[in-house]
Amino acid sequence: MATTSTTQTLSSPSTQEQPRTGTWDGGNEPFKASYGKLMMWFFLLSDAFTFAAFLTTYGLMRHRHLAYTGTNEAFEFSTAYWPIPDKVFNSFPGLHGVNLPLAFVALMTMILIFSSVTMVLAVEAGHRMDKKDVQKWLLWTILFGATFVSCQAWEWSHFIGGTEKGTLMVDGTRFFGANLQRNEYGPVLFADLFFFITGFHGTHVFSGICLLVWSFIATTNGTFEKRGHYEMVEKIGLYWHFVDLVWVFVFTFFYLV
Amino acid sequence: MAQHSTNQPPQLGEIPKPNTAWIWKTFFVLVGITALEFVFVFVMDPGTLRNTIFIILTIFKAFFIVAEFMHLKHETKGLIWTILIPMGLLIWLLVALVSEGSYVGESIQNALN
Repeated sequence: MATTSTTQTLSSPSTQEQPRTGTWDGGNEPFKASYGKLMMWFFLLSDAFTFAAFLTTYGLMRHRHLAYTGTNEAFEFSTAYWPIPDKVFNSFPGLHGVNLPLAFVALMTMILIFSSVTMVLAVEAGHRMDKKDVQKWLLWTILFGATFVSCQAWEWSHFIGGTEKGTLMVDGTRFFGANLQRNEYGPVLFADLFFFITGFHGTHVFSGICLLVWSFIATTNGTFEKRGHYEMVEKIGLYWHFVDLVWVFVFTFFYLV
Repeated sequence: MAQHSTNQPPQLGEIPKPNTAWIWKTFFVLVGITALEFVFVFVMDPGTLRNTIFIILTIFKAFFIVAEFMHLKHETKGLIWTILIPMGLLIWLLVALVSEGSYVGESIQNALN
């Protein structure tokens, strides 16, 4: 054979077709995980660094600004101090003017946790080679994922639109809502970090939905059934749970603390 | 191809029953912890103690998602540590930069006064 691999100096042409089994020949699997799954784990680790950098920046910037020291009832928006999250995120779609602190974000959290459950059910069905169940649970996961992204779109538009009262800015004008340069809720960086952290997370959810739609089509076409395993669903599942995991941290550090 | 003329998949009889009890158990744990966090938002005054409780509960939730849903608990020790050690190093980044933020804020306040 003309194309002998340089790493296989001891192999004769007749053993080339055999799977590599030697310890230093690719036959040893110390992590007992497939290449694809291992690489997904390492990708998620690097992605976790990115999100950790975002949330650490949030912590740094929050402590760099003054904290509000008065009572919860007397709180008013001001660019002088960092806002209390349950005063910023207190509205619910269809319930205009009702003060419901963190209710909508609680609903979003539940939706995402539930989508994680339907995802793990799809993976479980894949282990049993149950094509119908895989399809069913993938569709539920796509539905909950799309609902979450829609909720986030509403949250963004409400955040950008702002309250009716607005906030008197330092230059004497009244400002409503938020953009990257100024916002009615507090220091400029509060809105910037909201847009970047929840936006980056929302992009991840959106990519996850794209992967799920693709894997639903592949499942329906019988691609995984012919392949003999549903490992691709498992790998996409790892990604999806990671997105849920990130939301758990965003939820705590952005909305609760 | 007589068996392909029916709409049923050929291996229908071989599909084992779903084993989902552990999934729902994990789900109720996650929902329970989230509900507990909401209770703490409204019954406790903001402060270091409340934030500590939130962070501990968050780590509990993260443990259940990673260990059960992402199946890391059932992987080899080598893989578990490969993921956990780099994440553990991030705790130092967080502590260092958050306290750095307090110092930067203090310096700015002192310069203004």
